[in-house]
Amino acid sequence: MSSNSLLFAINNEGKVYALSTSGSCWREFMYLGLEFKTLSAVPHFLWAVGGDRQIYLHVHGLEIPIRVKEESYENERWLPLEGFSGRLLPTDRYHFSSQDGTKDRSIDCIRLPSMAWQWEGDWQLELTLDGQPLDHDGWTYAVDFPAQFGPIKQWKSCVRRRKWIRYRKFSAMNSWCAIAPLHKDPTQEPFIDVSIGGDQIPYASAGTLAVWAITAQGRVMYRVGVSTISPEGLKWINVSIPPNCDIKQISVGPTGLVWALLWSGRAIVRKGINKDCPTGEAWLEVKSPADTKLTAVSVGYNTVWAISSDTRVWFRKGIEGNQAGNSETAAMGSGWLEINGNMIHISVGINDQVFAIGESNKSIYWRSGITPSELTGKRWRTIQANMQLSRTSSSTSIISSSSNPKHHSLSLLNENTPELKTTINLRNSWEESHSAPIENTLPLKPSKEIRPKKNSNIENIDLSGKSYETTLKNPRAWSPVRSVGSVVGMEAQPDSDSSVFDVDSGMYFDEEVSQTAWGTCDATWTFIEAGACSIDTVQIPHWFTDSKNAYNSDITAKWRFQILDSLKSRNMLDIDHNNYGLAIEMKGWTRSCEARLVCENNTSEDCILSLYWHASENIGTLSVFQPDGTIKFILNLGEITSIITSSEPGCPRISLAIPHQNQKIIKIQFTSEMEQEEWLSVLVDITSQINCLSGKPSNYSAWAVTNSGDVLNWDPKSAEHNTDRNGSYTKEFQVFGKDILNGFTTTLHNNFPPGSVLKMTGCLYDDINRFHINLQCPEVQKQRHNIETEVTEIPFHFNVRFDESVVVCNTKKAGCWGVEERHVLPLKPGQEFSIKIICDNSGFTVNVNELHFCSFKHRLSPESITSVLILGPLKLYTLEYSSTSAIIGPDEMIWRMMGGYLRKVECCKNGLVWGISHDHRVWVYTGGWGGGALKGIGGNDGIHAMTDTQTYCVYENQRWNPLSGYTSTGLPTDRFMWSDVTGKHKRTREHTKLLSRHWHWISEWMIDYNTPGGVDSEGWQYATDFPAPYHGKKVFTDCVRRRRWYRKAQNVTEGPWMRAGSTALLDVSLWGNDKEVTVWGVTLAGDAIYRTGVTTATPTGLHWEHINCPHSLIAISVVNDLIWAVGRKGELYYRDGITKENPGGTNWKLIEAPKCSFPFSHKSSIGAKFVSLSQSSAWVILTNGIIAVRIDVASDQRGGKQWKYLTDCELPFKHVSCSEQEVWAIRSDGTLHRRLGVTADNAAGIAWQQIHCGPLVHVSARACTS
Amino acid sequence: MANDREVLREIWDGKLPICFQLHQEDLMDIQQPDPFYVMVPRLSYFPLVTDKMKRHFLRYISQESADNEMWLDYNGQPLKWHYPIGFLYDLYCGHDPQLPWTLTVHFTKFPENILLHCPNKDIVEAHYMSTVKEADVLKHRGQVMSTMQKKDHNQLWLGLQNDKFDQFWAINRRLMESHGDNEGFKYIPLRIYSDEGICSQRLISPKNNDGSRKVIQQLLSELYPNKPDVKLRTHGILIPSDTPLQWLSEHMSYPDNFLHICLC
Repeated sequence: MSSNSLLFAINNEGKVYALSTSGSCWREFMYLGLEFKTLSAVPHFLWAVGGDRQIYLHVHGLEIPIRVKEESYENERWLPLEGFSGRLLPTDRYHFSSQDGTKDRSIDCIRLPSMAWQWEGDWQLELTLDGQPLDHDGWTYAVDFPAQFGPIKQWKSCVRRRKWIRYRKFSAMNSWCAIAPLHKDPTQEPFIDVSIGGDQIPYASAGTLAVWAITAQGRVMYRVGVSTISPEGLKWINVSIPPNCDIKQISVGPTGLVWALLWSGRAIVRKGINKDCPTGEAWLEVKSPADTKLTAVSVGYNTVWAISSDTRVWFRKGIEGNQAGNSETAAMGSGWLEINGNMIHISVGINDQVFAIGESNKSIYWRSGITPSELTGKRWRTIQANMQLSRTSSSTSIISSSSNPKHHSLSLLNENTPELKTTINLRNSWEESHSAPIENTLPLKPSKEIRPKKNSNIENIDLSGKSYETTLKNPRAWSPVRSVGSVVGMEAQPDSDSSVFDVDSGMYFDEEVSQTAWGTCDATWTFIEAGACSIDTVQIPHWFTDSKNAYNSDITAKWRFQILDSLKSRNMLDIDHNNYGLAIEMKGWTRSCEARLVCENNTSEDCILSLYWHASENIGTLSVFQPDGTIKFILNLGEITSIITSSEPGCPRISLAIPHQNQKIIKIQFTSEMEQEEWLSVLVDITSQINCLSGKPSNYSAWAVTNSGDVLNWDPKSAEHNTDRNGSYTKEFQVFGKDILNGFTTTLHNNFPPGSVLKMTGCLYDDINRFHINLQCPEVQKQRHNIETEVTEIPFHFNVRFDESVVVCNTKKAGCWGVEERHVLPLKPGQEFSIKIICDNSGFTVNVNELHFCSFKHRLSPESITSVLILGPLKLYTLEYSSTSAIIGPDEMIWRMMGGYLRKVECCKNGLVWGISHDHRVWVYTGGWGGGALKGIGGNDGIHAMTDTQTYCVYENQRWNPLSGYTSTGLPTDRFMWSDVTGKHKRTREHTKLLSRHWHWISEWMIDYNTPGGVDSEGWQYATDFPAPYHGKKVFTDCVRRRRWYRKAQNVTEGPWMRAGSTALLDVSLWGNDKEVTVWGVTLAGDAIYRTGVTTATPTGLHWEHINCPHSLIAISVVNDLIWAVGRKGELYYRDGITKENPGGTNWKLIEAPKCSFPFSHKSSIGAKFVSLSQSSAWVILTNGIIAVRIDVASDQRGGKQWKYLTDCELPFKHVSCSEQEVWAIRSDGTLHRRLGVTADNAAGIAWQQIHCGPLVHVSARACTS
Repeated sequence: MANDREVLREIWDGKLPICFQLHQEDLMDIQQPDPFYVMVPRLSYFPLVTDKMKRHFLRYISQESADNEMWLDYNGQPLKWHYPIGFLYDLYCGHDPQLPWTLTVHFTKFPENILLHCPNKDIVEAHYMSTVKEADVLKHRGQVMSTMQKKDHNQLWLGLQNDKFDQFWAINRRLMESHGDNEGFKYIPLRIYSDEGICSQRLISPKNNDGSRKVIQQLLSELYPNKPDVKLRTHGILIPSDTPLQWLSEHMSYPDNFLHICLC
């Protein structure tokens, strides 16, 4: 599902309408008594020239507010006698300064830029430094100013400073906001055109925008400082134009390229516009197409389209947006190409899609078939969307704009006009439209469709005019001069106003509503603006009646139901089908191909794969033959636990995980991507059939993402189903042929809690001396002269000694045996036997040969038992383990590939699953299965198109030498001159390849000017030597430099996912409780947000609520009313005051940082990077990969009580996910482990058990319950 | 585009119960063979579904006729194997449905002047593929078939032969898409048969002259101006008169991409 974007248009009444790509109705912008002449838009930002010839700005559709953090550092110096004071030395910085001290930042001089901004709260002190809490005054100390500040005051601390912060918020969202006129008298130099673009200027920092305008005197103005966080910019500056040029229209493309039209019909182009010089260098003239005058022009990314005065359409060849700043030809193009069709206005939107207004019928057309390779498209298609009949569209308003526009616009400009006011609310706007200039003389027949609407609204319209009079508090306020950035209308009210941003279903109208409020009247359009409109050419919006979406009406057509009913009824004949054989019987089939088997050391050998599938018996085998035809091995498809792609560029591969086999992973490389995809889909299909997996998994399943972006699901329900036997779960272990003599160990997958029973039968050898059974804890590593492992905890040791004719029961605690309990020998050598060990709350009971033998009181918790060891000269027949909870070993965990391409996936107990793609967009699981390589494996329900964008980076490294300066000749010991970030791997731009045919480049290689650490004007960053911190300014000692190149690639696939909101997220966490679901996320800017209205029925929710957070966050986790977040500097917070009534909570509180004195780390405290919360504990990954567990977390103790550190693993972890009993974590090598022995008493668990060989990047086990 | 999966699936799953009986003349055994009952997909062809039936009857016929080509008749009317089974049923039994459909199996006296020979399934495949190609020429000037690979052609055929809906439609979907600039097909591959089995094939556009979608009613008044109450049957149902022709072609064509419609 493509995200929602808007196409704007102005009709002949000057009213602004918007058509949403997810809707099918034109909706009117709130009418505020102001018509509009022209519009220009980029997503979320709409600039317009009003009927009063002033410029207005409309910011809309942002899910989180625009907030700017103002900072000021208060500096003080210690002086003898006085102590610290604000009196500084003359050489010192300002008392209040910026961080580097160069700017004066007195807090009383920091003001709001315009009336459109509001402060959020007062100035506050920052009370932490790098996650460390400071004292209440927030001072940090240093020896002198340009030095490292620390939290502790020392004897040598001569200066101190503290940081004040205050937020301001753009409050004019979703309303028109006036931009200051050029002169005090706004009528002196009104505007005639405005254009916004520049959101993709090459190399420019994110959020940059470019706004150009033309005044009535023909001057070209550029708006300085416009960006997504400063929507209205700072001021206008004049851009000189060549003499004798009288400009009437201007257009800015997304790359900043500017074309302007002269009244004479010629076009001029601004050359040299780039990130450093947003206003460009000079104008160049472009020849008009022969014998024509151009009347409209619109600039896209790689295109320029124009309309000539004879309504012909022209396409400019050879425009290259990325190069337009450097190359004149790229900016000017190479020639005009006439396109068929007669249009009067044209606008280019996102992805160079083109919209135009037809000359004859004044309706809007979309140019279909425009692709990057075919920019001229194929044909014009009419947009036929229903109209929301204007609340204000009455005969009077038509007249007001047509009969006497001048009078109207002038009256708007008049400061003393009493009709105007600062806050016009919706009702008054209706009222006003009716009371607008009333020289109603032209006879106009009211259109049919309007009537019912008017009737339905008549009660809402206050005809007395009273409310209208009373709001005239400050008639002067709404003068553009005095109220720069003043808000023209209040925010749209969702309850009372059907705003343009509502999503309408587009397909099925409520009969009543469609009659009253919507009509199909043909609108006459005068202006179209597509700059914010992003059309998915694969799934085009429901705007076209002449096309595929005619299907939409077909599906509800009467004849279709007739056909379907009669088709269904023809099969309902009373014939006993048992008598009839099936004509086509599916016995089985085989499939084979040549492939290569990839070994562990990355070498590969040829082989022939052959798949055999027997449908009726539901079994399948995969045979691997050598090229000469001899069998290498045969695999039962039921043994495969997971199938994932493991392709590398040019090497399409699949990995099969088979825990039963010696070789646990089989990697197969196919000859082509198509073949790989077909095999993948067939193998996933068959293994899912064998394991009876299909459709939507149960709510309790775990979700994971592999490092190739595949989404995997493990559903415990299907495994439980197989083992359930009257309330208890039983598992038989394979004991045939096992070597008992040297000890046979097997894992008891869910420990040995009370209620568990272990039963074994076997036969003792004649020469038996002793044998024992250990119910033991995991092995621990011992550092002696060399590393060895040893079991130090054995809760139950059952030793049968024939030589001493005694049975010894004991417990080993911390490596030492306890007090023995001795019993008489119940067995004889050579005898067949059965032993049953039953665990209850108080102890173990042992039955030998079905008779009670002995009891043994618990000395250690039985939940700590992870495995059983049987050792001695005997032969086992059976070994059976029963337990009260499901026993699921890693070899029984079947991971099913679900389809889609994601980076993260998070689930909760209600079955809701959210994902985040690499470009940080948010997706919600639809319940389907398939898409992409899996094709229509589970039907096409819920399968949507998905895209993702990833950035490839390479580093160009250079070393300085005295002769030639910086060159790409390094020392022999140096890193590769083109490398990855570490320098260990060679990476060149030319050899960077895309992973598969579903990927394509969407940009060229570009220098990254936003590399962390700062860069110079050519993108270089310098250092003294290679593995050293890089800085942007070259200094004398710098011997090496590097710069980062990046290129973006896009992946197009399908999957059972749909978009949820348009806000990009870093992290998301879900918690489900019956029907209600809590969803919290962290935005790219580091703000915490939560989603309202998420239920199982509406998984995407309604909108995001923003939570103020003084520190930027990177991760978040939510359980019930507990919320923990990780700050960018590694600090941990919890949210206080969350209740049902106040789901957003009140404030953030800092949590004591984990202080892990781990032998390998020298730092005393290490920041956190990720957190996962369960109801009683918080599992935190530290920056060094160690897991710390905060225990005793509860609603009345949200911050927890105590840290515990897991030190029993040698490799660091990169991800963790926990629920009440289950804790799953991914190690840095990508393997997935679960924590054994996690109980209420021992929240940190006992040992890790590997359950998936990976490589995984994300897992969510938050819905798993034992 | 054929995206009404529900209708497609329903049509694909259409099956006919058929009772095969051996013709008395061919019977050599004293014992009367049991009739052979089988459920047959409406969309398939007889040579694809009669292997088991043939084996069943071979025991009862003379050695010399066992090598002869088998053929079928209904009420003395030889059945042409190159038409889909469901269409043959609609043609001969559509007005008076009786199930199971009782067919007579012959091993002798092949009606040379009525039926084409069908020595093996390759002939069926060749015939099927050529019909698909013909339909594509009508729909897209043959541009879709020519861009397909041999593998795709195989998948189409194997999907039909093995009754694999997804396998078949993965490829057939491309044949049912509008191609290039045009909305809808150039011409609708349509064959209308009278009661006597006489086929008429005309160039029929899915659109009226004013560009609107042509529906069945308009087609009928165009083709049969003299017969006002004529009705069309396909897949065992009567087509509602306001069904758009383009939709009908996309969803209710037989696997050979033709609409085989009986007049009644």
